[in-house]
Amino acid sequence: MVIRKCVMRRIGTDDQIGKMKKFLSITLAMSMMLAAMAGCGNASAPVSSQASGGAAATEPAAPAAGDPVRIAVAAPMTGDNAEYGIGFYNAATLMAEKWNAQGGVLGRQIEIVQYDDKNSSEEAASIAQKIVSDGTIAGVIGHFASGVCMVAAPVYQENQIIEISPSSSHPDYSGIGDYIFRNNTVINVEASASLDIAINDLGKKNIGIIAIQTDWGQNTASIVEELIAGEYGESGATIVAREDVMEGSDDYSPAITKLDAAGADVVICCGMYSLVGPVAKQYKQVNPDISIVAFSNAYSQQLIELGGEAVNGVRFPVIFFSGSEDPVIKEYVETYTAQFGSEPSALTSQAYDSTGMLLEAIKAAGATDSAAVKDELYKLNYPGVTGDTQFDEIGDVHKAFVKVEIQDGKFVELT
Amino acid sequence: MESFCEKYKLPIWAAAAVILLGLPLLGLSQYLIRIFIMIGIYSMLALGLNLLTGYTGQVSLGHAGFFAIGAYVSSLMSINLGCSFIISFIAGALITALCGFLLGLPTMRLSGSYLTIVTLGFGEIVKMVLLNWTDVTNGPMGLKNIPKPNLFGLDLTLANNGLYYLMLLLVLLVSAVCVVLIRSKTGRAFIAIKDDELAATMMGIHTSRFKILSFAFSAGIAGLAGAFYAPVIGFIDPNTFVFDVSTLIISIVILGGMGTMRGMYLGAAILIAFPEVARFLMDWRFVVYGLVLVVMMRFRPQGLLGWKSQMPYKLPKLTRIALEERKAQRAAEA
Amino acid sequence: MLRSSRISTVTTVVIQQLFNGLALGMAYALIAVGYSLVFGILRLTNFSHGSIYAFGAHMAVSFAGFQFGLFFAIVLAIILTGILDILVDKAALAPLRKKNSMPIASLITTIGISQIIQNLLTIFYGSQRRSFPALFDFGMISIGSIQIHSTQLMMCVVSLILLLVLTTIIEKTKIGLAMRATEQNTKAANLMGINVNFVISVTFFLTGASAAIAGSLISGYYQIVYPTMGFMAGLKAFAAAILGGIGSLPGAVIGGLVVGVSESLGATFLGSTYRDSIAFIILIIVLIVRPTGLFGKKAITKV
Repeated sequence: MVIRKCVMRRIGTDDQIGKMKKFLSITLAMSMMLAAMAGCGNASAPVSSQASGGAAATEPAAPAAGDPVRIAVAAPMTGDNAEYGIGFYNAATLMAEKWNAQGGVLGRQIEIVQYDDKNSSEEAASIAQKIVSDGTIAGVIGHFASGVCMVAAPVYQENQIIEISPSSSHPDYSGIGDYIFRNNTVINVEASASLDIAINDLGKKNIGIIAIQTDWGQNTASIVEELIAGEYGESGATIVAREDVMEGSDDYSPAITKLDAAGADVVICCGMYSLVGPVAKQYKQVNPDISIVAFSNAYSQQLIELGGEAVNGVRFPVIFFSGSEDPVIKEYVETYTAQFGSEPSALTSQAYDSTGMLLEAIKAAGATDSAAVKDELYKLNYPGVTGDTQFDEIGDVHKAFVKVEIQDGKFVELT
Repeated sequence: MESFCEKYKLPIWAAAAVILLGLPLLGLSQYLIRIFIMIGIYSMLALGLNLLTGYTGQVSLGHAGFFAIGAYVSSLMSINLGCSFIISFIAGALITALCGFLLGLPTMRLSGSYLTIVTLGFGEIVKMVLLNWTDVTNGPMGLKNIPKPNLFGLDLTLANNGLYYLMLLLVLLVSAVCVVLIRSKTGRAFIAIKDDELAATMMGIHTSRFKILSFAFSAGIAGLAGAFYAPVIGFIDPNTFVFDVSTLIISIVILGGMGTMRGMYLGAAILIAFPEVARFLMDWRFVVYGLVLVVMMRFRPQGLLGWKSQMPYKLPKLTRIALEERKAQRAAEA
Repeated sequence: MLRSSRISTVTTVVIQQLFNGLALGMAYALIAVGYSLVFGILRLTNFSHGSIYAFGAHMAVSFAGFQFGLFFAIVLAIILTGILDILVDKAALAPLRKKNSMPIASLITTIGISQIIQNLLTIFYGSQRRSFPALFDFGMISIGSIQIHSTQLMMCVVSLILLLVLTTIIEKTKIGLAMRATEQNTKAANLMGINVNFVISVTFFLTGASAAIAGSLISGYYQIVYPTMGFMAGLKAFAAAILGGIGSLPGAVIGGLVVGVSESLGATFLGSTYRDSIAFIILIIVLIVRPTGLFGKKAITKV
């Protein structure tokens, strides 16, 4: 448009230019509108894995008759939380490849379809509607943030599409309906494991809590407080201070000063690696002897990169440990690292297992019919890389935890 | 193009109305209907901001805050008090307008960049309050199960197109308010302030009074949009109303053309539909947003549809009648 | 270190927070200077400054990956960021000035540029937080029961030196004289034989350079970089610039310190979750009481 204008400037008189300029702008606007409408109408053609260069679809045409089984991965692929969404997509692709190499499911190839919700509720609502309108999607792996899941899940439930979120942590999420599952542990169990580390393994009594101001962070911190009052009441441990902080602020010194003044000797960090890394660094400047206990969603290679020496000694319970000697996990970690250049995180591995479970359920049901697959999912006991997984009656999972400590910049399993 | 539009104004509007009313009958997917509803909501937001930025010349980067207040007030009323949607929508709009009035008060002393930063700060403060005032707003957990508007026992949903027609009705209402306001004495005062604040003061216009009024109206409209947005989405949390929303609203106003109303509909349609079609651009989409702003300002600052309506000036009705009478009198005398 | 120096009383917590706040405030001051420089000459709020700051930090961390040392990497980042800021001005803002566009046009252009830079950074570096090499890390310095980290101290020292250098450039050099002349009256300066375009370019270079320095220093302090780091920091620094009186360098420093200290103290007494709004609340109060900020000159409305 710019170039055309320049050309016109030479040929036309002022008056003509003015008119043509306007005409051009309007035409441009109209054509953009038309393009937009055409694109919207074509809802059944989302970005497929072919377009994204995914490995799943580079396989030659399916040997069996019929279309591929399509599974959607809906998560942030761009923007602030793209790292997580891309991890989900990679994991799902890897699992689909594994199945495809063995002939797919029900004799059909598996296709992973990528949807970008940009981590926005508004987008997610559109995406969910799009997936539902599509009609060929056998199930959805995803939505990353809890708030986003809360918007999308009712749409799936209403239209009877299975959604398995590898990350949602909103307490009310899985209660939305029987088609809504989550392959992320219930916070109570995990919080109890963290407290076990702090009180029994480390032998600390004065507990400080630092929690991010999100549904997950607040909920986790409250559960930790309840556990101290109840289950761990006899251990003599007390909470000396609780500090809520904004997610993603880099300076935690006010909170740390307060925790230190209250005399905490162990800090339970309710947050992602972006909280644990800086807190470890800044706390150890003030008090080098502080012990830090975190949760499984801080388990990521980036924690070590970001925290450096300061995160040595940080402990947390995880359901997935990439350094494990288990041959299945070892093979998975190696393939993933070879293909995508970094080790899979806990959430990514949960996405990997979620895809596996969905496929397993489809196989058991003998069809991609949602109602049948859903029933199979409840029955399924799946030995995945994130432990043996079994959904309970509302679609939550309970898993066993492995305790991990960072030693010399490496994750080490504690036995 | 312009003269074409001006000439066939009535048929164009009529055709647009018929198309909009008939759209759901074409059996479009719910996904498409939802996008149309979003376009409607953002048209309202843009119309509201346009009153302030396009007509009165005050830039606000905090409209996400008003949007949020409207959404929260009406949702809380319908969830906790079980109010009918009509009441909660009105309450949402009125309380937001009150907030707009309060935010408008500093404009008695501030202008330009200073005002912009105050509105920006306001947006952030609103988000912070929603996040921390857990007893009322449920904090980071957000509000869920926001009831759909219910009319005579019938839930208006996406599936029965009720929400779509409600959207049309609200957009029509907001547009009507804007038209009436702009054509009134108040509207002329707004435009005078935008063109030259000093001259406006000299003409005897109480500039701060009208600026505050403009703020209140603009906020009220954003609040109404928020009140409608909440039941459409069904779940709101503070992260829904981030700074990006404010930027998007002002981008719509800029793209469509400040000080025009037709531009707001087109701007909203383009910027809301664009990410849907531009998925192939992936990450680059946001870069393109930025480019749109820069290129528009450089080459067409008046916006896509920003041409002046060539309506001849009309004297007020009473004056016209008086003139006619005088003319008739003179004729009779002669 | 033994825990004998444990902070226990409220007073020491307050004093400790005061120091934390001072270091934070110096960081804001450095960013705020960039807003003031551009505003002084062009009467333009440069919303792209936050992302320019993020760009500077990313350049520093990329060059630090090569083998010629951190100092050299930062110098390279400073030069590159300065050049980027000149380019931004030449490509997007200068044409608007030539056309005598409305002020709002430039304002919106800078918002657009901010979007472009921030998202290009996300595309090339990814959205995750990366670590930045520590600057001036010599451990803690204890004064009584108060602990100050060496990075905090060095940040204050380096910031003060840089602000002095900037002030000297503006007050004592020929180009500084030209800048002040342009600031007072662009047309007259032009008539006096001052190359106004050159002066504007120099201003943008200084702005970009100060953003890169701020970016490197602050990232070195927290040891974190990520593409959206400029958003909140930029907003608060802008609040600081207006607080002190936009266009005035000492004002920017005072404004930065006020915002930094009140944020730290506010976080202590109100809770950390309110800290991001504290800057804006103070700003709104100050603006209502004294619309030109603490050190701003009152603009004369010509009739």
